[in-house]
Amino acid sequence: MKNYLKLVNFEFNRIAKLFAVLLGITLVVQLTGVMVISKGYLNMANEKIYEEMMTKAQFLEDFGRMSFIQIVKSVWFMGPIALCIAGVAFYIFLIWYRDWVGKNTFIYRLLMLPTARLNVFYAKMTSILLMTFGLVAFQLILLPIENAVMKGMVPDEFRVDMGVIQIVNSVPELALIIPNSIVELILYYGAGLMVVAILFTAILMERSFRWKGIFAGLLFSALAIVVLIAPLLLQAFVLNSFFYPIELLGIEIVIGLIVLAASIWMSGFLLRKKITV
Amino acid sequence: MNVNFNNRDPVYLQIVRYFKEKIAIGELEPGEEIPSRRELANRMKVNPNTAQRAYKEMEEQGLIYTEKNHPSRITTDKKILGQVREELLVEAVDLFVTSVRSINVPVEELLELVRIKYTTHDDKEA
Amino acid sequence: MIEVKAVEKSFGRKKILKGLSFTANKGEITCIIGINGVGKTTILNAIMSLTPINKGQILIDGQPVTKHTFEKITFIPDAITMLPQMTIAEAMEFMKDFYTCWNQERATELLGFFRLNLSDRISSLSKGNTAKVNLLLGLALDVDYVLMDEPFSGIDMFSREEIANVFTSHLIENRGVIITTHEVGDIEHLIDKVVLLEDGKVIKEFSAEEKRETEGKSVIDVMREVYQR
Repeated sequence: MKNYLKLVNFEFNRIAKLFAVLLGITLVVQLTGVMVISKGYLNMANEKIYEEMMTKAQFLEDFGRMSFIQIVKSVWFMGPIALCIAGVAFYIFLIWYRDWVGKNTFIYRLLMLPTARLNVFYAKMTSILLMTFGLVAFQLILLPIENAVMKGMVPDEFRVDMGVIQIVNSVPELALIIPNSIVELILYYGAGLMVVAILFTAILMERSFRWKGIFAGLLFSALAIVVLIAPLLLQAFVLNSFFYPIELLGIEIVIGLIVLAASIWMSGFLLRKKITV
Repeated sequence: MNVNFNNRDPVYLQIVRYFKEKIAIGELEPGEEIPSRRELANRMKVNPNTAQRAYKEMEEQGLIYTEKNHPSRITTDKKILGQVREELLVEAVDLFVTSVRSINVPVEELLELVRIKYTTHDDKEA
Repeated sequence: MIEVKAVEKSFGRKKILKGLSFTANKGEITCIIGINGVGKTTILNAIMSLTPINKGQILIDGQPVTKHTFEKITFIPDAITMLPQMTIAEAMEFMKDFYTCWNQERATELLGFFRLNLSDRISSLSKGNTAKVNLLLGLALDVDYVLMDEPFSGIDMFSREEIANVFTSHLIENRGVIITTHEVGDIEHLIDKVVLLEDGKVIKEFSAEEKRETEGKSVIDVMREVYQR
């Protein structure tokens, strides 16, 4: 346990730079977006009202009030989120491969630590998780700030005020990242964790068997997907909705846990018996 | 203690020989403390096990002695010390004789030449 | 004792080790000699369970390798096992964090022995100094066995001398050491046991000193005999 925590600390420090860069980009781009879009709206309102002599009421009727949703749906806002997701996805691979490449083969050291090799796996997985939660938490902190900036720029009568929860709930993409109930949070991030575990297993297969391992990894991933969607397919095509949705959810959770456990077991086996530096 | 070891003779015997030479010329005096095995290995750049073996050999030959919990010392046994000198001398002469025999020189001529060479060499060194 | 028993190993279709066996004792320096590509590094990797073997067995003091073995045996590969962005101090801290057998006193001594600076970044070190840091990190562990892969290759003469000094010092005392090399040259007098490899097998295993005593042959003589048939 102690070694696991030390490894987590170590791994997280290694991603700290990338993490900070992602936070920085998100902060700058989203805030710029808030200002650009608010300013754009105001400019438009000014043009219509002061140059085209449209009445305020007429303007609001034609163009609507400005709401934060407009900002959220813009590239300014979604772009950084997509970038962060891409960053995390990229890091899922990098976190393993960079230990093998170059003259400095850190994987030697990691595999020779007097601790269960699965701890290395857990530590890397935890780092990915921490990074993800960190990014989400940062977004949560950023949202009210951005909302306030918009409020500061756009006068009362031109805007629709929304709380953070309201904002999140009205944009499905955002609701996926920031679930509004604990159950959803556990489900979404549990699913994410499972995906990471499957990918890690595939990576370790490649690292163990190289070319053949790529096929094994793809096969393993495909198998995991088939197992996961089998109940859904059965439900839809064979069983004619035999299960209640809640039962189906239960089945999916159990299967998800089995797939996660299988991935971890397989990774442990590969790390102990098959991995090659 | 820079020794140029050859690769074909056992290193431990080369170490023993090195000590004998030092004893014969008086650079190591009777009763003088000698370095520990570890130190010797380090100074001579040899394997510590080899140094250990050399000391064992020297102890067996009576060249050095070790009292409990003390560093090893060169023997004070006059007889053994004499033998060392004798042994080296005989060995060197043997070597010389073997190589010179092939030239087939009368012994008197040879001895004369040896006397001249040996003393002029001495002069040069002095 | 490290026992390598009838080990076979292939990379793809290529068989690298073909039933290789030898032993290495505690308190001795065993030198594995073979031309490049004969699988010397693979053997060390296999001993450390860093690569799987197809057949055979490897035992350390009669036991197969587990996580606990890494407090008992260490491997110093020919490339440094720490991140280039770390300083020497950070690398040492890392080792101290994870290994209960880390000996800080000895680490400090080695630091002086090799004249290294704690604050130097690994990426900024010369090849010789990188090798020394690598050696330091391994030798500062209080382990029974040390494996070193080509500790002398590609390093300047003076660094080589300093590294050779390690072998005759108390830093190695009572440990079992295995080193691999393709040229025995300046370490002839440092090694106890020689294991000659050819074509994935051990073709000769002998004591260097015994060979000199009984046959009047140097290690290089034996190598010549064996490899130039």
